[in-house]
Amino acid sequence: MDEEFSHHQRLKAALHFTVGRLCEDIAGSSRKKFSKELVAAIAETTFRQCDIFAKDLEAFARHAKRTTVNSEDVKLVARRSTALYNYITRKSEELASTNQEQKERRRKNTGKKKENGQSGAGTSGNVDCDMT
Amino acid sequence: MEDRTTEVVFKKETVGKLLSLNFKDEKTKVTGDAVVLMAEMLKIFVEEAARRCQKQAEVENCDVVDIEHFEKILPQLLLDF
Repeated sequence: MDEEFSHHQRLKAALHFTVGRLCEDIAGSSRKKFSKELVAAIAETTFRQCDIFAKDLEAFARHAKRTTVNSEDVKLVARRSTALYNYITRKSEELASTNQEQKERRRKNTGKKKENGQSGAGTSGNVDCDMT
Repeated sequence: MEDRTTEVVFKKETVGKLLSLNFKDEKTKVTGDAVVLMAEMLKIFVEEAARRCQKQAEVENCDVVDIEHFEKILPQLLLDF
């Protein structure tokens, strides 16, 4: 039980740390300072928002009869704001094309290994993202 | 203007654990890409919150951006997400 508690706390602390740095960056461009309580409040709210996101993601994946959440589910979570949706869609496509490039490179390397008489292990770990 | 050369992002590991923590079914997993995208989502969420607070403080002519500003922008922020 104690282990779970500290795991929880450690996550929150990690989140708080990054939230703090993000706020610093944003405050950096202006003279106004962000109070410590504010940063803590934003961190706490983000933590709770994660809960909502996670449950939505899980529901979307289950609706699609999957147990693994993928990029399509994330796009759905971003549906409320058009700008956000477009941004996430673009990022998703960027990631998909990067994955594609990595696959090509691995395939070439595997090909070279086969030539040297070694058995190449097929890489099929990546889940393909639908580019709608 | 950022004085850092590296961009601040949420670590993949942190985001992954944050999501898994809240899944109802322990069998639910997340793809690597989805974790990266969710990290972006969270970053945008935090940035939106911070910027809206900042604006609110400006409107009220306050020197410090405080919780009271956050309380005012919170409802709309949650609706927008």
